[in-house]
Amino acid sequence: MDSGLTVRFCTNETQNTREQFVQKLRVMGFDISVSHVFAPAPALVRIIRERHLRPHLLVHDGLMAEFEGVDTSSPNCVVIGDAADKFSYQNLNEAFRVLIGQEKPLLFSLGRGRYYKETDGLKLDVGVFMKALEYAGDVQAEVVGKPSADFFGTVLKDMSLQPHEVVMIGDDLVNDVGGAQSCGMKGIQVRTGKYRPSDEQHASVRADAYVDDLAAASHAILTVR
Amino acid sequence: MAFTLYALIQTAILFTNAIAVLHEERFLSKIGWGAEQSIGGFGDEPGIKAQLLNLIRSVRTVMRVALRSLKAVLVDLSGTLHIEDAAVPGAQEALTRLRQSPVAVKFVTNTTKECKRTLFERLRRLNFDLQEREIFTSLTAARNLLEQRAVRPLLLVEDSAREDFTGLETSDPNAVVIGLAPDHFNYQTLNKAFRLILDGAPLIAIHKARYYKRKDGLALGPGPFVTGLEYATDTQATVVGKPEKAFFLEALRDLNCSPEEAVMIGDDARDDVGGAQNAGMLGILVKTGKYRPGDEGKINPPPHLTCDSFPDAVNHILEHLLGSKQSEN
Repeated sequence: MDSGLTVRFCTNETQNTREQFVQKLRVMGFDISVSHVFAPAPALVRIIRERHLRPHLLVHDGLMAEFEGVDTSSPNCVVIGDAADKFSYQNLNEAFRVLIGQEKPLLFSLGRGRYYKETDGLKLDVGVFMKALEYAGDVQAEVVGKPSADFFGTVLKDMSLQPHEVVMIGDDLVNDVGGAQSCGMKGIQVRTGKYRPSDEQHASVRADAYVDDLAAASHAILTVR
Repeated sequence: MAFTLYALIQTAILFTNAIAVLHEERFLSKIGWGAEQSIGGFGDEPGIKAQLLNLIRSVRTVMRVALRSLKAVLVDLSGTLHIEDAAVPGAQEALTRLRQSPVAVKFVTNTTKECKRTLFERLRRLNFDLQEREIFTSLTAARNLLEQRAVRPLLLVEDSAREDFTGLETSDPNAVVIGLAPDHFNYQTLNKAFRLILDGAPLIAIHKARYYKRKDGLALGPGPFVTGLEYATDTQATVVGKPEKAFFLEALRDLNCSPEEAVMIGDDARDDVGGAQNAGMLGILVKTGKYRPGDEGKINPPPHLTCDSFPDAVNHILEHLLGSKQSEN
């Protein structure tokens, strides 16, 4: 952080607001400020305001605060995030009814992950329910968050940098590394978190470097420049 | 006289027949006279070739219908004969009339919430004339598959449908069966199914209907959940219900009837009519139940007929699709 390089944080976290999330990290000892964190929900709120939309929200309770001030009456679009236990038949049905009632159904998905790992096992992620609603409503979702090019674009704009001047460090080969590379950035894969050894033989994504962890990544970057 | 009127009529019939039997794939397309190969855009004066193509196509359509001898009629239940607990007006009487003709009738349904007995009892209560053995459901098809593969299913089906699976071992499951089970669809159960499939359990879908019509509006079918699990596990489900070809062929199997000798009546353009036509049957789309305006344009080829409701479909069958006494198989 003291190297003179511009640092930003990109996450698809949608169970908590940025503030809560940053708080968690600060408690762990990380020096991070909210304005440097880019998460799907704020990006989506910006899109909603720009396009004058009123969303039907199917998101985790912890995320609702990000949507404060957003008009949700007579919704004309549907937003799904990682709602975990809130993905009940009833809630999904309600979201579906909003979609099917529109002439041009609009569905936003905060990320498109298939699953994630928690202490009690693997759990279905938002992408699964995005596919479900896409199928039901015969609609294609707009994905907000990694690996969407628009999402990375927003971060780059904030940094006032060109893609070739930026490198992304992440544990998700397809969404972090692959997504960044598709935008012209370099991608470094860390061998932590969601990483699996098979990622190093992936059919389509080849990271620019594979390192053990964030410390190693940071070391690699600082020594190369 | 060498050239009598009778000879003329004979020639005309033989000529028409010759046109009727021109095979679309094996011949017409190969010489550039297929249905999709006519040149000329909108507003152009139709050229000779286009007009001839139209003639060929019309003759084939008309003759193909008349040449079929109809042996069986498959009828969808929910949305076609009845909507929840109310019969479609005139349906009972239409069914009785249909039964007076020499066709076999079978009731086919993707309903996954109810077992055969419940369906039968409801239809009897609504005064429909049928037998329980004439009902063929996607649950039956699923059960047959489970027995074939000798697997122990995790049954994500409504309690009322479990009756059709009695006798199958369900402890320590190594297969996942997904039907329509709103009461059981929750994050926890879906995760359980997800982990089993990730471990190698086959995913069997009773059907993949996107939605169905309930009294209180449209409701999600099993399709979205099956699609989601397929995405999560990067696998493909085996679908046993409509519109799978296997479903229709299985339904016709004990009627000793080929798909070309059968017609399907239903309210779902894709699953009932599209599926049946894909299996070689004729399809009649009725504008009741889950039908929405424009549905007939969503399948290719379009339904053989789109009509208001079941009684109209029966009228059409009795007036136009029977009585081809010339060709008997």
